[in-house]
Amino acid sequence: MAALKPPAAERRRPALLTGLVAAQALAAVFFAADAATDLLNAPWTPHTLIEAFVALALGAGVVIGAVELRAALERLRAQETALAAARGALSTVVAAQFRDWALTPAETDVAWLALKGLDVAEIAALRGSAQGTVRAQLARVYAKAGVSGRAQFAALFVEELLAQGVPEADGAHEASRRQA
Amino acid sequence: MRPADTPPAKAVGGDPHPPVLWDPVVRLTHWTIAVAIVVNYALTEDGGTTHVWVGYLALAILVLRLVWGFVGPAEARFAAFPPAPRAALAHLADLAAGRPGRYRSHNPAGALMAYALWAMLAVVIATGILMTAGGPGDEALMRAAVERDDWSILTGATPWVGDAAAEVLEEVHEVAANLLLLLAALHIAGVAVESRAMRTNLVRAMLPWRR
Ligand code: HEM
Ligand code: HEM
Repeated sequence: MAALKPPAAERRRPALLTGLVAAQALAAVFFAADAATDLLNAPWTPHTLIEAFVALALGAGVVIGAVELRAALERLRAQETALAAARGALSTVVAAQFRDWALTPAETDVAWLALKGLDVAEIAALRGSAQGTVRAQLARVYAKAGVSGRAQFAALFVEELLAQGVPEADGAHEASRRQA
Repeated sequence: MRPADTPPAKAVGGDPHPPVLWDPVVRLTHWTIAVAIVVNYALTEDGGTTHVWVGYLALAILVLRLVWGFVGPAEARFAAFPPAPRAALAHLADLAAGRPGRYRSHNPAGALMAYALWAMLAVVIATGILMTAGGPGDEALMRAAVERDDWSILTGATPWVGDAAAEVLEEVHEVAANLLLLLAALHIAGVAVESRAMRTNLVRAMLPWRR
């Protein structure tokens, strides 16, 4: 099953910036070495001055590029943390709702699997029960939830998230801060 | 897939742990430095033009990693793995006792090894540059010297340092290069031992092609 991820461009950015910063570091070192050699062999000339200037500019470029790269990495991590928090929050909402509807343990299991996108045959195979049993359990779940079928059932939870925005999961945020 | 009242939460908070995947700069610099060292030690002609270029490449990448140690993400910063010999010894004792602690960056022994490797590499590069007088390689250096009517190069002296100093530099370069390889071997053994003790494959987090 496809999983939600930050956009591809965002995910490629760190690798690109890393290559760029590495190339800058190479150029800076070569110019610095060249300027240093010239300086030791001959006094200041316009040529050496320019070389030294280029080396300095490239060196500054390395530092600025590195800072930029760190920012890109942190944006990516923040997005991943937000997704994880949303996932955690969604499961909490769903579990609370299931308890509210007083689903039996078997109905709860079947309801989770249905929400995760498995069809009746897959659920039956996973639980080692007959497809008829699963169908009956799902029908009771939909009845308790007051919906007509699976699509409406799933939409209940998506709607919940969209209406309220994404609640913050404190634990996940703390963990990301410790890692970041 | 585990149907239950509440699905298993992702481990949030809890113990610190090393990164699941090191950032791209740490991985790029790690493998560039490792390959440059092996190439210069075993493959290129001693002191030849390629040897010197690879040496400068290693220098540039080392500089990048050092900059990253100040501006990179928290776990890549020097502050996250300070050189602490006592902590390193304590960690080795814990390791021997079969209960290694968990750290959010390199463990203290690994950190010490990282600094030793970088320092040794710096010594090798510095002696190499002094030996070749900062030139891009033997031939160019010679041509430039001869153009300046400085024929001493052809008799074996280098423009930056005298004969005797050059001898010492060469000796230091060679000894440090050997030590560097010895340290790298110890480092790889250390990674294997730690991975086993922590039941985590530490190499996975360092692989260059993972996203
Ligand atoms: C990646 C880092 C480097 C490693 C691992 C390395 C390793 C070595 C080794 C093993 C030798 C042979 C020593 C001997 O048996 O006499 C050697 C020789 C030499 N290296 Fe390097 N080297 C590195 C970087 C450099 C750099 C940056 C330069 C110069 C800019 C350099 C210049 C030389 C020269 C001139 C020799 C010949 C010395 C002689 O005449 O014996 N090396 N290097
Ligand atoms: C000449 C060869 C090598 C050198 C000089 C070297 C050097 C280093 C350095 C300096 C670090 C610290 C990284 C940083 O913070 O930027 C490091 C970490 C690491 N290296 Fe190497 N390395 C070499 C070869 C290898 C090899 C062959 C492997 C894999 C088998 C390896 C696996 C690792 C791992 C897994 C870490 C992270 C350890 C941790 O989790 O604390 N290294 N290495």
